[in-house]
Amino acid sequence: MQIVVDIDAPEPLFAQLISRIKKAVLAGQLGPGDPLPSIRQLANDLELNSKTVAKAYRLLERDLVVQTRGYRGTFIHPDAKANSGVDLNAWVATRLSETVAEFRESGVTDSEIRIAFSNVLNDSSK
Amino acid sequence: MLTWVENLFYAVFLGQIFLLSYYFPQKILSRMRYVLESYPPSIYPKLYPKPVEYYRIGQSVFKVINQFIFLLGFLILLAMLFLVDHGNFADDGFISEAWPAAYGMIQFLPLAALELLEFSQFKLMRKANLATRRKAELRRRGLFGFVSPTIFGLAVVLYLTAVLLDVFAHRSDGLAMWLTGGILFMAAVGAWNLYGRKMNPHQAIDDRAKQIAANLNSLLYISMVMSAFFIMAVADEIFDLDFLDAILMSVYFQVIMILSIGHVLRNLKLEDIDFDVYKNRTATT
Repeated sequence: MQIVVDIDAPEPLFAQLISRIKKAVLAGQLGPGDPLPSIRQLANDLELNSKTVAKAYRLLERDLVVQTRGYRGTFIHPDAKANSGVDLNAWVATRLSETVAEFRESGVTDSEIRIAFSNVLNDSSK
Repeated sequence: MLTWVENLFYAVFLGQIFLLSYYFPQKILSRMRYVLESYPPSIYPKLYPKPVEYYRIGQSVFKVINQFIFLLGFLILLAMLFLVDHGNFADDGFISEAWPAAYGMIQFLPLAALELLEFSQFKLMRKANLATRRKAELRRRGLFGFVSPTIFGLAVVLYLTAVLLDVFAHRSDGLAMWLTGGILFMAAVGAWNLYGRKMNPHQAIDDRAKQIAANLNSLLYISMVMSAFFIMAVADEIFDLDFLDAILMSVYFQVIMILSIGHVLRNLKLEDIDFDVYKNRTATT
């Protein structure tokens, strides 16, 4: 099973890795418990920075598509197929669109929305 | 009148001359010729980051250097037979193992140079590679996916035997340290082969797997021979068989050659390599 990334594509490399791995899971090419290459191995094979691969693996773990078992490495999650269909970014975009539309209907300006959004993000990260 | 030991040594040394400076260099030159003739730059431009003349000249230089070293071997043989007082070169009056060792190192020089040039070739290929798509296998590579656990276990047992023999039965003059250093170096090379960066940007994934397998097995066999050699060297001293040292040293170099270059040549046949990756089309690396 091979993975292909395009370094010139507009999509960030870590996002390409995530989408390819999810597609492979949905297509049945990767099954529960299948070991994934180590971060170093995949980074060297694709000639990418290991931080790019690490970020992709971290986000896949957040999405419950992979699970890390310490020194033993990274494996496909038992529920990966069900979880691969969930696109968190698409969900965020949908919810934000609905919320922004609601604000605009209430008369809130775009700059007020931006300032409030930024403040909420900053406050919640403290 | 030559003793049987000296006769045996000269026969073995002749084998070292032929094997390391004629037989294997001829095999390598034959592969070079085959590639240049069967995969010309007009159809496989990615294989030649430099003009093809550069490779033809390199081939000639490699041939001439090996011919020179081949002749040097005969000169050394004649010198040992007729000119040298062996007593001056070995404490025990026998032929010193320094003769086959020094010559063996000279014989390996052209091969070492070829390895370094290969790195330089791959660097140029990577620089010239404009493909933006990159491909990798989504399969974890592990040591035992390429080498037999049994052979690996045997290599470990041989190493531990050599170390224990040196420490407990010998005067422990650092042989174990040298052996350990050598084994660790090969382990590092093995790890680099398994997990390191792909040197040839165009190499097909299957070919890379075959190369990793050939290299790892070669390193494993060499480590076993190193341990076996150390065991024999210690045993020689313990059982007063020092007169065999020169013969063992020559055999050692020949076996190392058979297990390194010979093993790779036998297991990486040119007919099995995918050369289409070097054709000029928009490619995925």
